[in-house]
Amino acid sequence: MRWLVYLFCEAWTNLRTNRTTTVVAIVTTAFTLTCVGIFVLSYVNLRHAANWLQEDIKVIVYLDDRLPLEAIQELEDTLKADRMVGSLFYISKDQALGEFRAQFPSDSHLLEGLGENPLPASFVVTPAPNYRSLNSVNRWAERVTIMPGVAKVDYNQEWIDALAELIRYIELAAISVGVILSMAGITIIGNTIRLALFARREEVEILRLIGATRTFIRIPYVIEGAVLGVCGSALSLSILKLGFELFRRQIGSVGRFNEIESLVTFLPISGCAAFVGIGMVLGIAGSMVSLRRFGETRG
Amino acid sequence: MIQLIHVSKSYDRRVVLSDLTLEIGKGEFVLLMGPSGAGKSTLLRMLIGEERPDQGQIFVQGKNVGQLRQSEVPYLRRKIGTVFQEFHLLPKKSVFENVALPLLVQRSSVAEIRRKVMEALRAVDVEHKKDQSPASLSTGEQQRVCIARAIVNGPVVLLADEPTGNLDPERTAEIIELFKLVNARGTTVVVATHDPHVMTLVNRRVMMLIQGVLIPEVQGGDA
Repeated sequence: MRWLVYLFCEAWTNLRTNRTTTVVAIVTTAFTLTCVGIFVLSYVNLRHAANWLQEDIKVIVYLDDRLPLEAIQELEDTLKADRMVGSLFYISKDQALGEFRAQFPSDSHLLEGLGENPLPASFVVTPAPNYRSLNSVNRWAERVTIMPGVAKVDYNQEWIDALAELIRYIELAAISVGVILSMAGITIIGNTIRLALFARREEVEILRLIGATRTFIRIPYVIEGAVLGVCGSALSLSILKLGFELFRRQIGSVGRFNEIESLVTFLPISGCAAFVGIGMVLGIAGSMVSLRRFGETRG
Repeated sequence: MIQLIHVSKSYDRRVVLSDLTLEIGKGEFVLLMGPSGAGKSTLLRMLIGEERPDQGQIFVQGKNVGQLRQSEVPYLRRKIGTVFQEFHLLPKKSVFENVALPLLVQRSSVAEIRRKVMEALRAVDVEHKKDQSPASLSTGEQQRVCIARAIVNGPVVLLADEPTGNLDPERTAEIIELFKLVNARGTTVVVATHDPHVMTLVNRRVMMLIQGVLIPEVQGGDA
């Protein structure tokens, strides 16, 4: 076990000896990973919002004005029997007019001039929990549109489509930025390790001559890279959390964003752990790159 | 113990060793003499697998060093103690820690490390300096620490490259005495030096290497 203690002590000595480069590496890695984290957070929150919207999805089935009451009843029975329908309620023409007047009292005079109530009767349908995905609702809407007596099927499709599109772009951007900045992180940590290797090249030489294996020589530097990666990602998480709380407090102070405030969410514990884990992997990768180059020159 | 068969080595067409054939038996003490640039260091580096011959074969304890895989070289080096002119001690570690390095590399236990390091330090008479930094020691003492590190894991061969290059005649004699003691315990010792004074201290087999060519053996003599 003494050799294991030795390897960890060597890594700690490396970090302490090159204090300035260590701090610079941690801070720059932290800022790099913060940029990645902003994209990841945006992605997580948009996904969250999309799920929330999907849970809240309502499909309005507008009825033909000439549809007799019996046919309306028959259509309601048909829809209720559909396994994709969770619940539905009927809104008559008069109820629709009443709701319009209640929601837009200043614009209600617009309908006065038309004489007859132009608003159609409708069913407001909430899809069953298992069928709330955009694809399921799309398929169901296509099927219902062609039913006799149905004038139009409407739901917030454009809004959901736009959000889905935005999520795809953010996902793509997060991956691209993540890959590019991860490379930057690997380079930053790799350079720090290279400096440590250069500073201790004589020690490496001695270890080689007394029969140390490559693994034995490399472990302290791999540990050092891992520590730099973990510290950088942990610092980055702290910056993200601080920024997130400030943002939430800011939108909370604006009354009409109250609902949004309760919707925005930080990374779950597992996500935070994965973020730190990724930092560690980047650190190890940086070390390995430098060690490989160093090994090539040292034989 | 050590056998070279028609070994040659060149760097950028400059011949460093030319068709070398020699044999060093178990427990022998051999002086490898020659001026700077004669190829002594290259020969020693080949024995520890640091360099590979362009031609010929090198055997150390029956193993063909030239054909060892890179991953096998460290295990060969654990059987060979090495001492250099430039001490190669780690300045930030104590004498004890420097000597313990070869044992740490072999993952020895704490008790074994303590016992063997103290034995080695006693053998070279620097036991009382074990907690000091190498920088606080004299050059002679630093070389003793290097010898302690080279013998701490009981190597079968001890290779020394200009081990007295930085020492005055008195310290040189002390170091050579230490090598004789190590040799007396059964370790094969090969000392490479350009210093003719060393030859007067050792009444053992001497091999002369001049411009990469081994010339007929001469006998050293104790002063």
